[in-house]
Amino acid sequence: MTSQPVSQHSSSVGTTRMEDALNADVWDVDEKPHIEVDTGRCAECKTRPCIKVCPANTFVLLGGKVLHSYEGCLECGTCRVICPMAAITWNYPLSGRGVQYRF
Amino acid sequence: MTYSPHAQKFDAVVVGGGPAGLSCSCELARKGLKVAVLERGRSPGSKNLFGGRVYSGPLERVYGNLRKEAPIERWVKHERMSLVADDGALSIGYDSSGSTSFTAYLSKLVAWMSSKAESQGAVMVTDVRVDGVVMEEGRAVGVVAGGDRIDAGVVVVAEGANRLLCEGMKVTPKLSPGQVALGVREVLKLGSEKINERFGTGGDEGMAWFFLGKPSEYLPGGAFLYTNSSTVSIGLVLYLDEGLQVPSDHVYDILERFKTSPTLKKLLAGGSLVEYGSHLIPEGGPEMMPKRVFGDGYVIVGDAAGLVLNLGYTVRGVDFAVHSGYLAAQAIADAHSSGGFTSQNLAAYGDKLNGSFVVKEMRRHNAIRKLMRKKRVFDAYPRTLVDAARQLYEFDEASPKLIEAGRRSTKGRLSILGMLSDLLLLGRGP
Repeated sequence: MTSQPVSQHSSSVGTTRMEDALNADVWDVDEKPHIEVDTGRCAECKTRPCIKVCPANTFVLLGGKVLHSYEGCLECGTCRVICPMAAITWNYPLSGRGVQYRF
Repeated sequence: MTYSPHAQKFDAVVVGGGPAGLSCSCELARKGLKVAVLERGRSPGSKNLFGGRVYSGPLERVYGNLRKEAPIERWVKHERMSLVADDGALSIGYDSSGSTSFTAYLSKLVAWMSSKAESQGAVMVTDVRVDGVVMEEGRAVGVVAGGDRIDAGVVVVAEGANRLLCEGMKVTPKLSPGQVALGVREVLKLGSEKINERFGTGGDEGMAWFFLGKPSEYLPGGAFLYTNSSTVSIGLVLYLDEGLQVPSDHVYDILERFKTSPTLKKLLAGGSLVEYGSHLIPEGGPEMMPKRVFGDGYVIVGDAAGLVLNLGYTVRGVDFAVHSGYLAAQAIADAHSSGGFTSQNLAAYGDKLNGSFVVKEMRRHNAIRKLMRKKRVFDAYPRTLVDAARQLYEFDEASPKLIEAGRRSTKGRLSILGMLSDLLLLGRGP
């Protein structure tokens, strides 16, 4: 029931890496992504706030491009709201999949 | 759960088994209506997340045995508020023998609320993501989930902060960054003994602690800490419109820096992370509410209706959600017995909500919300006050007069005019 979220983020600030924080959660990852990105629009974006603000580091910059995953998504919906290009199609995972909050 | 959506038509279909949807369901079932709750999570509560505190009064109206039965962690009897700058923090505290709020895990509280609704006869259907509300000639007649249509006399939209259904129904515009804040939260296990030792609490006493300034990197927002029985809930809130204009660190790094700050490091030492999560918080105030929280065949409750109040020193959301669901249930039951779920009949929910403490509180304190959109409240103010405190407490021979400390600490940071306009703003409003 655990996943290894795709993530290039490394935190030198604190004591817990984000990967470990995400792995503290219980997951039942969907096979189908619930986040879709229009990469054409995304490429034209200058500010790319998703990279800094997605708490699960679902959006990462690699070789000048924004790559996205969905497996470690915490389902807050921030990316949909913040995307200046309206490039993100976002909905909740189906069938109870995704993060399983216990607290 | 085995369930055939076509087996029966429900009087009410509630979309979302959170605090608003469940209080509504509980009341509706209690009044004898046929109710189904459609919840996207695997179990009720598994998709719910909040900071950590609930004001109990409005919940006790719906759940008479709340104090005895609900999964309450601690009653908040210790309040702390800290203004934090780079080199120090200025804190105030309030300690009381009484309490009107408790800390809780929302996932567990919601699971409990769900069991209450079920015991009244509401049908709980989990693992169902509702894709849309079916509208026919401007009237909601049911919902669609995974290609299946489920008919309903009335649809209770309790979908939460991401109002995808409301947007689909075109009753609210697309959420804009300025209407929401991002909340990230960790739950750290410390053990109840350590918590009581370190936070100076006894028995079931809880603490709620708010932080302004450096914890959010001086951006509009703040940080919070709540003590539960054996864990602490700690997190960060960032207003999206402001936080994102400025290139800053990753939100996770900001939270980590806060956790390892001098104020918190020792308090949290040895704590093990048991959960990391995030959620959007409606912060748009009365302006964010749908023009009408009702229509032909539907009502909108809780976060979906934007019913949250952030006062800076405390936040209300769960109690507002529960009360809106409670009021909606009354209006729906009345509409049921007086001929139908027409917009005209359901307008009673809008009237009740506007006349209730929920909307009154949001309107009354709307000036604070506007103040909390100003960067200086989170930057110049905490820096100034911490600087003033430093001058008053740290001296060699001559100590400054209060007025001198004030003048020196505001210099270059705050103008008298700016501060006056903020004070005036606070004084305005109903």
